[in-house]
Amino acid sequence: MENIISKYCIIQNRKVIVDGETQFEDKDNLEYGKLMKSIYKHYQIKYPKYFKMDNLCKIAFLGSEILMHDKENIKNIDPARVGVILQNTHSTIDTDKKYTNTIKDKSNYFPSPAVFVYTLPNVMIGEICIRHKFQGENACFISKDFNPEFITEHVNELLDEGKMDACITGYADYIDGKYKAIMFLVEKNKENRKDNISFKAKIIKNLIK
Amino acid sequence: MNTIYTVSNNIITSLGFSSNENFEALKKGVSGIKETSDPEITQIPLHVSQVDSERLNNEFSHIGNPADYTRLEQIMILSIDDAIKQTDINPESDETIFIFSSTKGNIDLLERNNLSFGEDRIHLWKLGEIISRFFHSPITPVIISNACVSGLTAITTGAQLLRKRKYKNAIVCGGDIISEFTPSGFQSFKAISPQPCRPFDANRDGITLGEGAGTIILSSEEKHAEESNPIIFRGGANTNDANHISGPSRTGDGLYYAIRNALADANKTDKNIDYISGHGTATPYNDEMESKAISWAELEHVPVNSLKAYWGHTLGAAGIVESIAGIYSIQENCLIKTLGYSEHGVSKRLNIITEYKETTIKNFLKTASGFGGSNAAAYFSQINND
Repeated sequence: MENIISKYCIIQNRKVIVDGETQFEDKDNLEYGKLMKSIYKHYQIKYPKYFKMDNLCKIAFLGSEILMHDKENIKNIDPARVGVILQNTHSTIDTDKKYTNTIKDKSNYFPSPAVFVYTLPNVMIGEICIRHKFQGENACFISKDFNPEFITEHVNELLDEGKMDACITGYADYIDGKYKAIMFLVEKNKENRKDNISFKAKIIKNLIK
Repeated sequence: MNTIYTVSNNIITSLGFSSNENFEALKKGVSGIKETSDPEITQIPLHVSQVDSERLNNEFSHIGNPADYTRLEQIMILSIDDAIKQTDINPESDETIFIFSSTKGNIDLLERNNLSFGEDRIHLWKLGEIISRFFHSPITPVIISNACVSGLTAITTGAQLLRKRKYKNAIVCGGDIISEFTPSGFQSFKAISPQPCRPFDANRDGITLGEGAGTIILSSEEKHAEESNPIIFRGGANTNDANHISGPSRTGDGLYYAIRNALADANKTDKNIDYISGHGTATPYNDEMESKAISWAELEHVPVNSLKAYWGHTLGAAGIVESIAGIYSIQENCLIKTLGYSEHGVSKRLNIITEYKETTIKNFLKTASGFGGSNAAAYFSQINND
């Protein structure tokens, strides 16, 4: 049976689109940090660790929060069988640059562990897992652009082989003030319904047009 | 599901430029870790395992112009080239996929603000593009950056792609280099040992970093495998601790789930495992967590080692180079001692290998854990056993 998108969320161009509907729009031309914070407030998220996160983790985390909002059924799935598998383009170059600045000047040499810890792109996956105690399949793939063919095939295979029951997946990226998240909550199909959206590359390309 | 053969491999570290050279050093108990005060890498004396730059330049100049490639690209290309030359697998075929793993890629370009290779060159996708183009691959490569488990994630992803018969061959290469970035970061965490690391030891006090690359070629075609009793990839899994982004689980649950899921993927129901190639970074928390996970999996009796005191923690290469050492342990029927270990220092009773030993080895389990709470495990065995 096909796996289905039980919810999707796109954060780009100052908008948050959930299941095709614009739920948030910034008209004040906010800079990235403030824009993310207003999304955080809009969804009434309460998670102080958010404020420690780097720019990449923030957008991936918000995407996952929006996906999980009102998805009570996921809590009934064994968290060891919920995966988090994401794609990204620019790794953590934004934070890498910040970290490099702390070691550039040898007379003012203060490498920061709080910055260094965010210099790995899979840390965004770790943050989502910690939030929901998800312990299933994990992987961070890097590709030049969002590659729905690869991610759908990979995630569908893991679901079909019974290695997980649900997955937060998709794409999250941040560099130089540019950001994009295209994220999906994918589950095994339990009942055939007309409005089911199967997790297929062709369908995703239509959704994000 | 089709069989995934391990066809050929290569390791480039401080201990040599081939798997054979590296494994001979491991058998003799030789470490490649040395102290350095190179100001390009560290502000205080540091123990580290580095690839010989002069030899790298010499060897690379036989296959390409060293001026056109970064240090990491040269190491990874040489590693892949050596592994390919041992087989008749065609890297230019659309049935052969390249899979790369790296934590930081060409990070030295960013630190030194080196734009001579172009602005894009610091990106991991570009690293993959440059290397796969060198070998004239017509396919977009897969790139994985999953912290210290990257190499194992790359192997399990490669196997997954072959199992589905999407491709016939996977050239899996992981690599990372030592610049100032990673040592200074781990120093800021106070996670680097002032001495060569001592995995699982009572006096362990942190990691030793290393650089290098490992390549393992997987194929679903029997014709590429060794004729008698080839070693195959049986199963693998990736999990998360969901505990802390920079500290391992206190209970070992994430790594235990990875071991459990990898063995389930391999359809292995008994506990007859001949060897565990552990992660053993020699930080107090990691090794303790690992001992709990191995105990939880009821594998305390299985001989286990960590190879980190030989070539350091090679980050994106670690899962691959250590899996290759496991393959050599099967092929040469021997177990490598855990260099640096003398007094037991983890709470669970593990069967830590303390002396080089010749004994029949038919299979092994490889494990890894890293930042972001990531864990991975993979199980390999001879085809006619298990």
